[in-house]
Amino acid sequence: MRKIKYIILTIGLILFLTEVSLSQVVKNKLILGLGYFNNNNQLQYLKANTKAKINGKFQQVADIHVSFYISSEDPGNLLGKAVTNEKGIANLFIPPSAKSVWNKSAKQSFLVVSEPTKEYDGVHSNFDLTKSRIQIDTLPDRKIAATFSEFRDSAWVAVKGVDMKVTVKRLGGDLNVSETPTYTTDSLGVVSADFKLDKLPGDSAGNLVIVAEVDDNDIYGNLKTERSVPWGKSSKYVSTFNQRSLFARRGWSPLWLEWMAYSIIVAVWGVLLFLFLQIRKMKKLGAGYKAGQSE
Amino acid sequence: MPARQKIIDDLLPKKFGWKGTVWVIVLLIFCVVGLVAYILQLSKGLVVTSMRDYASWGIYISNFVFFVAISLVGSLITAVLRLTNVHWSTPLTRIAEIIAVSAITFASIIIVVDMGRPERFYNLFTHGRLQSPIVWDVVVITTYFFISLLLLYLPLLADLNIMLQIKKRPGNLLNKLYSFLGSFWKNTPEQIKISNRSIQILSITIIPVAFAIHTVTSWLFATTYRPGWDSTNFGAYFIAGAFLVGSGAVLVAMYIFRRAYKLDKYITTDHFDRMGKIVVMLALVYLYFNVNEFLAPAFKMKKSEEGYLMGLFTGAYSRIFWFALSTAIFIPILILINKKGRRPFPAFIAGCLVVIGSWFKRYLIVTPTLLNPLLPMRDVPDSYRHYFPSWQEWAIAMGSLAGMMLIITIFARLLPIIPIQETIDEMEEHEKD
Repeated sequence: MRKIKYIILTIGLILFLTEVSLSQVVKNKLILGLGYFNNNNQLQYLKANTKAKINGKFQQVADIHVSFYISSEDPGNLLGKAVTNEKGIANLFIPPSAKSVWNKSAKQSFLVVSEPTKEYDGVHSNFDLTKSRIQIDTLPDRKIAATFSEFRDSAWVAVKGVDMKVTVKRLGGDLNVSETPTYTTDSLGVVSADFKLDKLPGDSAGNLVIVAEVDDNDIYGNLKTERSVPWGKSSKYVSTFNQRSLFARRGWSPLWLEWMAYSIIVAVWGVLLFLFLQIRKMKKLGAGYKAGQSE
Repeated sequence: MPARQKIIDDLLPKKFGWKGTVWVIVLLIFCVVGLVAYILQLSKGLVVTSMRDYASWGIYISNFVFFVAISLVGSLITAVLRLTNVHWSTPLTRIAEIIAVSAITFASIIIVVDMGRPERFYNLFTHGRLQSPIVWDVVVITTYFFISLLLLYLPLLADLNIMLQIKKRPGNLLNKLYSFLGSFWKNTPEQIKISNRSIQILSITIIPVAFAIHTVTSWLFATTYRPGWDSTNFGAYFIAGAFLVGSGAVLVAMYIFRRAYKLDKYITTDHFDRMGKIVVMLALVYLYFNVNEFLAPAFKMKKSEEGYLMGLFTGAYSRIFWFALSTAIFIPILILINKKGRRPFPAFIAGCLVVIGSWFKRYLIVTPTLLNPLLPMRDVPDSYRHYFPSWQEWAIAMGSLAGMMLIITIFARLLPIIPIQETIDEMEEHEKD
């Protein structure tokens, strides 16, 4: 009897502990990052990215609702809301309504806050920014001069020691203009790069787009400035629309194909026509056959 | 003469018994259900099917490829064996040609069914590009249909004459039909000469056209850059498979007609033995092309083809894949390689397996490739990632298969399923020898 009592108590305890442990859902830890982007000193946007350790690997997390703020997490400073995509990224263009706050100071702070979900607690991240810009210019002998400056005391001041890449746009990617992958600004905030790509195809006028960019800088964020230069080889687009080819439109198939196809069709249907005529001939023979004539 | 009369009596088309009537009713029910489903599809559009952006070809196209494949048997039995002076196949020629004509008819129909706006079919002729394999397919199918029809019709003339001479006529309507088709045939030496020469010309013409029809069908796939279809092996692979399924269908038809019409003296165990050997040979050839088709890509296992290949070998389609290979190739070989296995009933079972397995093989040629595109599927509803035919698709597909069998059945009811005159001629020649 005593044994039964102990067994029942033990089972009860196990069931209670199981229930308690199951009721406590362990949430994953969400990693939230924030980046500032400025293209051509005009288009400014913020990019939030989310990651979490799932099945032992860091993976992007989609469908996380995030809110972006300027200066502080205050409803009045809300820039906007977004949801992360399948790459775990949510973008937000800084709206014109934030202009007055933006102009107040040379340094700004951005915040991103994620909403809690069933799997993840709400987290936040911030990025402290010093306003900056890149100016790109060209010099004789195909030289590129890119100047980096920051906004300080109501003026643009050149900054020394900032890493910068100088590239040219090519087939959807960026190609270094010389063997040097990264340049560092001098005391005048300038980097000079030689453009060594002589035979690069440009547009019909030979224009190429050169790019100076600062990537993932802790103080300045991500900046990119472009400029069009006539240093490429002009490439003229020749339309093949009115040429005969296997991929041309109707009526523009290659002559050899037409000749071959129509010859085969005529030959085979010629045989069939001949056979239809043979049936007709047999019909005539049958019609001319007299009863009693030997078979 | 009594022997001649006996052959005529044995081989004349006969009225259906109750089994035949039930069979026709069942087929008609399938056809009607298929027709209703098609009317629904016409009124509501292709949205009633499970075909979506990715799996834009489903069991309609699988059925199309199957029908084209099965129709190739006409060229094998009638043309190849005739040209090589193989006489044992004489009783099978009409069965093969009837299968060919009915299959190619439904291949043409099912391709129109797959079109969302069938009334625009004429655009293919008015706006079709000569460079497109679809245009070649339309041309070659039409040509093959007429050649098969002629190859069925010309050897039939002598039999129509025999049927018109019989006093016990099967009925006025049938008599009118026979008269319309062959009253001009008087069995004169000139007519026989012209007919024989025409059949000879047709037998030669049908071989390249038959090869073209299935090669072009394979090019509908192979000219498209997709995993599984991007293959130079496809033409030969399709033709080998087509001869196999057609021969399997002939085995099935031989057994059914032999039983239904009591043709044991004409479709003998020897015929099953020989056809069985042909099926084994064709299955081995098809196995060879399958090895070519899958082994080399699997050995390389390119990233772009990995999903498709692994889906077939061990993934979502593996059951159907191994089932299709087992039923279409391995088991029929195991059955038919043995002499006992080439007796009528086991051969019939092997034929059924070949036909069933081959249908699933066609399904595997079409669908898994479409669901494994080179660029990954993104931002699409979950239903786009899978394909399982809707009931309308099943009904139409089954209806078309039933329709093909119905045509064969009607042919068998109206016309002699074994050539009477040719059988008499061969008997007389045999007696002379």
